[in-house]
Amino acid sequence: MGMRLTRLALWPVTAAAAAATLAMARAHPDGSFAGRSVVGAAAELAPVLTLGAAGLLFWGSRPRNPIGPLLVAAALAWLLPEWTNAEAGSALLFTLGLIGSFACVALVVHVALAYPGGHLRSVFDKGAVALAYSGAFVVIGLVPALVFDPRGEGCTVCPRNLALVHGDAALNEDLGRLGIRVAIGWTLIAVLAIALRALRGSRPALRSNGPVLAAAAACIGLANAQAWHSAGRAFIVNDAADVRLWRWQAAALAVLGASVAWRLFRARRMRRSVAQLVIELGHAPRAGGARDTLAVALGDPDLQLAYRRANGDGYVDVDGRPVPSAIAAGRAATPLLRDGREIAIVIHSDELLSDPGQIEDATTAARLAVENEQLQAEVRAQTNEIRASRARIVETADAERKRLERDLHDGAQQRLVALTLGLRLLRGEAERSGDAQAIDLLDEADRELRLALAELREVAHGIYPAVLGEDGVAAALETLAERLPATVRVGRAPDERFAAPVEAAAYFAAAEIVRDLGEHDGSAQIDVVRSDEELVVEVERIGAIEDADERLVEIADRVGALDGEIDVEAGPNGRIRMRARIPCA
Amino acid sequence: MRVVIADDAMLMREGLARLLGDAGFEVTGKFADGDELVRRLGAVGADVALVDIRMPPTHTDEGLIAADRIRAAHPEVGVLVLSQYLESRYAVRLLESHPDGVGYLLKERVSDIAVLADALRRVHEGECVVDPTIVSRLVKRSHDSTLANLTEREREVLALMAEGRSNRGICETLFLSPKTVEAHVGRVLQKLDLPEAGEYHRRVLAVLAYLRETAAHD
Repeated sequence: MGMRLTRLALWPVTAAAAAATLAMARAHPDGSFAGRSVVGAAAELAPVLTLGAAGLLFWGSRPRNPIGPLLVAAALAWLLPEWTNAEAGSALLFTLGLIGSFACVALVVHVALAYPGGHLRSVFDKGAVALAYSGAFVVIGLVPALVFDPRGEGCTVCPRNLALVHGDAALNEDLGRLGIRVAIGWTLIAVLAIALRALRGSRPALRSNGPVLAAAAACIGLANAQAWHSAGRAFIVNDAADVRLWRWQAAALAVLGASVAWRLFRARRMRRSVAQLVIELGHAPRAGGARDTLAVALGDPDLQLAYRRANGDGYVDVDGRPVPSAIAAGRAATPLLRDGREIAIVIHSDELLSDPGQIEDATTAARLAVENEQLQAEVRAQTNEIRASRARIVETADAERKRLERDLHDGAQQRLVALTLGLRLLRGEAERSGDAQAIDLLDEADRELRLALAELREVAHGIYPAVLGEDGVAAALETLAERLPATVRVGRAPDERFAAPVEAAAYFAAAEIVRDLGEHDGSAQIDVVRSDEELVVEVERIGAIEDADERLVEIADRVGALDGEIDVEAGPNGRIRMRARIPCA
Repeated sequence: MRVVIADDAMLMREGLARLLGDAGFEVTGKFADGDELVRRLGAVGADVALVDIRMPPTHTDEGLIAADRIRAAHPEVGVLVLSQYLESRYAVRLLESHPDGVGYLLKERVSDIAVLADALRRVHEGECVVDPTIVSRLVKRSHDSTLANLTEREREVLALMAEGRSNRGICETLFLSPKTVEAHVGRVLQKLDLPEAGEYHRRVLAVLAYLRETAAHD
């Protein structure tokens, strides 16, 4: 609240200071930079107004970011050199002008190296800024002022220097020269730091920050030129060259302010467009809409949005599919919070980290869409889990069946075959000893045994036909058709192979309908066709059928576990037609 | 004829040995797994090895592997593989590697001594044997229209060719003269567009391949 009032107050304060300074310059043109010309007036006002406005707007939009206040300070600091006007009159203004003659430049250095996030990133940057501040405020500002007595040196109209400790013209001159030489140094270092930052940054970062950095570098470079020009003297004067340099500096600062304002304007436009997209999404929800919106807003087409599972275990995308938690090189993750709890993370280019305010703006604007999608993602993730679980259950059951079939095949059947051998040998003995009754009994036993073998083979086949795994659905259905006593025709059947669960579902869907068809019970027709991404099994059975409901439930379970569907038509006289559609992509 | 037996079930080993002994074969060895069979075959000497396809350690296809090793080390010894697999792919796998002197028979056929003896004899003579049940199943499953164009007799001849019989064997089975059989065989091969190979082993493989192909596709 206090901050807001301060900000509001600064608008008129800045404007007033600018107007007053201009008036002072026009009143006493000989000691000023602006003079009476229109160009001068423009050069005096433009930086203050643009930097001031940009700074206040920035401050308002990013309250915790120091760049806002720094720009406002720089705007006001631009006025300081004018206050050393000999005929200014106010001792306070005069003193402030002495101390802060290079203040604006130092503040611009800080802004350039901290833009737009507000933090100074490297030790080098921090050093350059520290150097600039100490160079501007202390070395060339305060220290010479301590021994500068303008009245003592013969300027009768000059105001008093409030910072004066002890007037010493020679020392003042030496210190002044030192200060200027030091200024050449730190302005140069600052320009280098900015150049380094520009070179190390990426293309997109350069595109957005470039104008600001360039304008700042120009301004600091011009200050460097000013220092060079005054290197022989102990202070900056306002000769023609100085005034020219001063005007060019004004232009650079105006560009700086305008660039910052332009970026702010674009950010606001982005927020508005995001808000617009979110409203559209609200009217016509679309999966992945939140991600697309953020990608457009942040200019990062590879942006990913990963939603946190309600139980906290990992992240999923909007379709409920798990997203790996590893983050690729060159990418960074920013969490989105609601009521302090993380609901999602945005995985974006790590260049965006340089301006966290931008990410925050975009995600705030898209918040509603993100929250909606998080709910959807959670539901889909749970559905996926259930589906996977169902499919696993069916697969486990099938694996059991295969094992059973194998055990029967390898165990009981083997033993029965061995028994037939034994019986044959016994029969040989009986023949040799001429025991007719024994021969009859043994023949009977042999018949029974062969029947048992045949039945056992049927049971094993009914549990899980080995040919299904070996040769596929078509072969298995044809074998089934051969084995059944009734007329079962297999019409169309694809010769390609499919995933094991799909083949099992297709086979058992048909087998379940026709399995107990006796010789005079009726007939059946089976057709299996692949249509796009689906395997379609059509079975028509003519004749009475028992337990139809139970069978259909079983088929539906199997088919449903793979996301398939069945539909059933029951006709008169025990005619039943079932169609199962099984996705087989 | 000398026969060795390899099967991991003792009842099968002893039973087969008795059966074959009664039928006039000399059983020179009984082994419980493929390694023992291959190791001792040279020592005991045999004309044919009767081998169960499934033996320790994996109980999958040790019999086929043993067949490979025996044919390589003792080419004069024939191998008759017993299997419970009705599907043709194991038979074909066996025959593709060894076109002669091997046979593939369904296990439940062992108690039928006539068939067993016949198979052993044929394998010893260098023919190959494919269980008739497998062949008939292939023929029945086949949807091929060309097969439908064969006459009854020609289909019989085709089945016997797939079972691995030589022309002479076909003569004996169908009670036809060699000339007639030759004519039938030629017509069948022509209709199926199969090469009239001189070696009859290739003929078996070609016919089996044809039947398997048409059994799988419409």
